[in-house]
Amino acid sequence: MDVINFLLDGFQTALLPHNLLFAFVGVLIGTAVGVLPGIGPMSGVALLIPVTASMTSGLEPAEAATSSIILLAGVYYGAMYGGSTTSILLNTPGESSSVVTTLDGYQMAKQGRAGSALSIAAIGSFFAGIVALIALTLLAEPLSKIALKFGPAEYFSLMLLGLAAVSGLAGNSMTKAWMMTVFGLLLSTIGIDAVSGVARFTYDISVLYGGLEFLTIAVGVFALGEVFKAILHKEENDGEVAKVGRILPSKQELKESSGPIVRGSLLGFFVGVLPGAGATLASFFSYIFEKKISKNPEKFGKGTIAGVAAPESANNAASGGAMIPLLTLGIPGSGTTAILMGALIMYNIQPGPLLFDEHPDVAWGLIASMFIGNLMLLILNMPLVKVFAKIIETPPKYLIPIIIAISIFGVYAVQVTTFDLLLLIGCGLAGYLLASNDFPLAPLVLGLVLGPMIENNMRRALTASNGDFMVFVEKPISLVFIITALLWIIVPILLKVRGKTLVISEEA
Amino acid sequence: MNKTFDRYAGFIFLMIGAAFMLESFRISKNAYGSNVGPNVFPFLLGLILVLLSIKLLLETLKYNAGHLQKKKVQYKKFLIILAAAILYAILLEPVGYVITTFLFLIIGFQTMEKGKLLKTIFIAGAFSFGVYYVYVKILQGTLPGWPIWFS
Repeated sequence: MDVINFLLDGFQTALLPHNLLFAFVGVLIGTAVGVLPGIGPMSGVALLIPVTASMTSGLEPAEAATSSIILLAGVYYGAMYGGSTTSILLNTPGESSSVVTTLDGYQMAKQGRAGSALSIAAIGSFFAGIVALIALTLLAEPLSKIALKFGPAEYFSLMLLGLAAVSGLAGNSMTKAWMMTVFGLLLSTIGIDAVSGVARFTYDISVLYGGLEFLTIAVGVFALGEVFKAILHKEENDGEVAKVGRILPSKQELKESSGPIVRGSLLGFFVGVLPGAGATLASFFSYIFEKKISKNPEKFGKGTIAGVAAPESANNAASGGAMIPLLTLGIPGSGTTAILMGALIMYNIQPGPLLFDEHPDVAWGLIASMFIGNLMLLILNMPLVKVFAKIIETPPKYLIPIIIAISIFGVYAVQVTTFDLLLLIGCGLAGYLLASNDFPLAPLVLGLVLGPMIENNMRRALTASNGDFMVFVEKPISLVFIITALLWIIVPILLKVRGKTLVISEEA
Repeated sequence: MNKTFDRYAGFIFLMIGAAFMLESFRISKNAYGSNVGPNVFPFLLGLILVLLSIKLLLETLKYNAGHLQKKKVQYKKFLIILAAAILYAILLEPVGYVITTFLFLIIGFQTMEKGKLLKTIFIAGAFSFGVYYVYVKILQGTLPGWPIWFS
């Protein structure tokens, strides 16, 4: 089979010493990001883009892209492992995707079973990661073959669908989510127009000709925004960190959790593939699902191992599943994958169906490295979980100024302008204000990343149709995408009208 | 939900959308070989943003005048660190990386929590020299080094 050959080539790339190192650093930082409350995977990945860019500056462009994306993806799925640690030991979720883990995880810790909760979380995450990766390996080629047949009209509609899905699920107010999406798209029009070469909204200011840099805005709104919030609203971690205790789970616990792990992995994977849903929803759904099918649902919330195994497997499977639309279609389904996509574009590598043809080493190298990375995470999280538990005690008074300093160093190292530094701080302020008033930030970044592509595809489709907007509904595939996008907007509104409470995705 | 903030935000985004619409008229309408010029996309987006902002403004009318629970907010610390960060950004090029980073970190650490001066000096020094050494000497990157009057 071709796939096996591609994967073996991928392993050749991933097993190069420097790529192994990058994968290790990525998952290590990812676990730390997951453990530290206050830094989410989005800000962690954004913060590390410029750092990896400077670390890989000596390599060839394609190699540099492979190494960077290996590290950044490592941070993303590493954070899913680490997020469970604080949920279990401190009753404070390190990530929004580990919120439900607190329900049973902390109870288990109180009963002195923190060690087995942590190790089951790690085993579940590992299993889920491998399931998602096998599915990714098998689906990547066929999906990108289909996507290759898409014309500009289909692409435009597909990207609309992506935006609709993310905006529909992000935050409490759909109006606000859409405003952020459109604002992100508008910001992406600043600079030289790629099609006609006309300068738009630049007003002869030289720094604006290149457009607003995605990196500056992402680091600003996510990393600095979160830091500003942490300074303004000092969170006291008064809770005692529970003792880890015996790490290896008992046979009984393994048996009890095997079902939830398998179901959580599959459910999480499918939720992850859907644009907009993401890891938080996946963990939430799988917890509810386990509770529904359990023979004794009253045990949930009182420290049952299934309540830890299912959501932790699901969030990791979802983060693997989310790589599928990103790599094969070039459509990020969440804020974090949008940032990963921005990072690839920075290296002049366009995610999408052509990725597997043009840069097989990047695509397959990444997939292979994720197998290795998950194995590293299992090893890191089982015996070393006590070391990571220590990270929780890092005093924020050192962490916060250092995060600001890393942001400034990173942006300056890549952009080398004072303008970008001021824009960075401005974005941090705006990010804090908007996020604390329920304006979700993920759609903004998604709009910014997808903006140029949406516009190009729209204009190419319209040029071919002589300016007739009907072209988007005349092509059948495009019509299907548009109808799905509309449904994604209308159904939640209808549900709201009927008084149902909606599950929303915080990290989307 | 904060009514005041949403009103201001709605108004500001309304202005931004309108500005993009107006300004898109000044962009050349023609693109060679295409009847969809570079002005169409920003104009449409500006229009959508205006409509959404109006929708948000209408929604704020329906907000309950619920009393917000006041959280303790540490404005003083925040403003000091913000001012320090802005100065850091502006002075990075003229004064150089190591000095500005060192000073910013000390101000930051001390603002977050007073005391342990020696430890903060040590961490700030290790970070600023460490990053500079690794990035400039080993990775051959470019950072503003030392100010002219210093070296």
